[in-house]
Amino acid sequence: MATEVDRHVKLEIENGVGWITLNRPEKMNAIGAVTRRQLAEAIKQADRDDSVRVLVLTGTGRAFSSGADVTEMVDMPMLSRLRTMAKPVIASMNGPAVGIGASFALACDIRIATPESYLMEAFVNIGLAPDGGVSWLLPRLAGTGIAYEMFFTGKPLQAVDAARLGVINRLVPAERLEAEVRELANELATQPRLAMAAAKRAVNYALESSFDEALEFESYLQEAQTASPEFAEGVQAFLARRSNKSNK
Amino acid sequence: MIPTMAYEHILVEVEPPIATITLNRPKVLNALSPELIREVTAALAELERDDEVRAVVLTGGPKVFAAGADISDMADRTAVEQLNRDQTGAWASIASFSKPLVAAVSGYALGGGCELVLMCDLVIAGDTARIGQPEINIGVIPGAGGTQRWPRTAGKYAAMEIVLSGAPVTARRAYELGIVNKVVPAEMTIEIAKRTARQLAEKPPLALRMAKEAVLRSFETPLTEGLAAERQSFYFLFATEDQKEGMHAFLEKRKGAFKGR
Repeated sequence: MATEVDRHVKLEIENGVGWITLNRPEKMNAIGAVTRRQLAEAIKQADRDDSVRVLVLTGTGRAFSSGADVTEMVDMPMLSRLRTMAKPVIASMNGPAVGIGASFALACDIRIATPESYLMEAFVNIGLAPDGGVSWLLPRLAGTGIAYEMFFTGKPLQAVDAARLGVINRLVPAERLEAEVRELANELATQPRLAMAAAKRAVNYALESSFDEALEFESYLQEAQTASPEFAEGVQAFLARRSNKSNK
Repeated sequence: MIPTMAYEHILVEVEPPIATITLNRPKVLNALSPELIREVTAALAELERDDEVRAVVLTGGPKVFAAGADISDMADRTAVEQLNRDQTGAWASIASFSKPLVAAVSGYALGGGCELVLMCDLVIAGDTARIGQPEINIGVIPGAGGTQRWPRTAGKYAAMEIVLSGAPVTARRAYELGIVNKVVPAEMTIEIAKRTARQLAEKPPLALRMAKEAVLRSFETPLTEGLAAERQSFYFLFATEDQKEGMHAFLEKRKGAFKGR
């Protein structure tokens, strides 16, 4: 199994950052049955490993992922896991993300992409409906108009347009992508982890709630955070900085 | 804190005006053995008599509520043995506890754990809660009220889904089905349930008791009978000091202080 894992999906942990790399460049990182199994395993492992404070999902070669073999589509609990795991997940889009590949990019919390990359929902071209959660994800990230245009035409949403719409957080030239993602991931790896996890819980709760329900849930999360050592340390650090400044 | 009798499988914490019962068999995910249920009913009987306690929280702690019964203890039993043990008959006194019972549910509440939740009056669920009746998967059906209380609470179709499929539902779905009052971050579940119990504990105890009885009676009686009983309780409460205090406090724009008299 170990060699199989090496071939399709890599999980490397470095300074609190887990890097999951789709590693079949010759197949444009297509997600077939083997890749899917290995990816699920890598995501689960990264989720459970407390030494992983931030997760990055990326691909080797020209594509982020060219999607699935159409004969192998099934439900994907790992997409839910990406959205709900208690740590930030960054998609480092080194190239096009198509079909289920786009789903993986869109299920991440943050997307950083090269200008040459794009998102594409090609299902319609082979007579299929969109899947992999994009009917939920894309309208929320891009609005229904853009989502429908992509679903109806099967044409790509270029990274530049996606960035303008806020679907992609920012564009970075290919040669600097890894360094910039690393910089962000390393930064997040030093942020208070419970506070970041609380932010994800709050957002995920709010996405299925009324405003008043979200307000109440937030207030309880905040109450739990104020009792956490993270908050005590944060306040102490803040006061220390302020007294440093006033001494100058 | 008032010391209570010693229990082996539960913790009882009395902090007037509330008390908290914690199912405490963490190694077996709070599996509901007959001994544990006996202790819960004994503790409730004790709290029933304690006038200082006006509402009770029932919880399994921060990780799990209760993942059902002890299957290893049941697997090879005969029907007659089960009948004679009448394991679930002992649960009746939990459902008839007269003071408000607030469930604090984090993690799994499955099988008997789920049925225990259905006997409570209010349910605070952590976002990690998973609630269901998986009995069907091992060749039996719920035996402590699941097939009766689910439809009475969430309706036929939700009940059928829960009882026939055996698949647990998330806290959010349980909230939508109306068997959870509030979904909160898991680590806050017990605290919010205690807060809820304290709020109820400020209410006039006799009115609370009559109100709880009346609501529970609605599941047992035809409407006309239920309405008649409700009216009688309503009139009866005018014989209490708390009614005089409550109404005068309202007119005087102050908070009522209730004594349960």
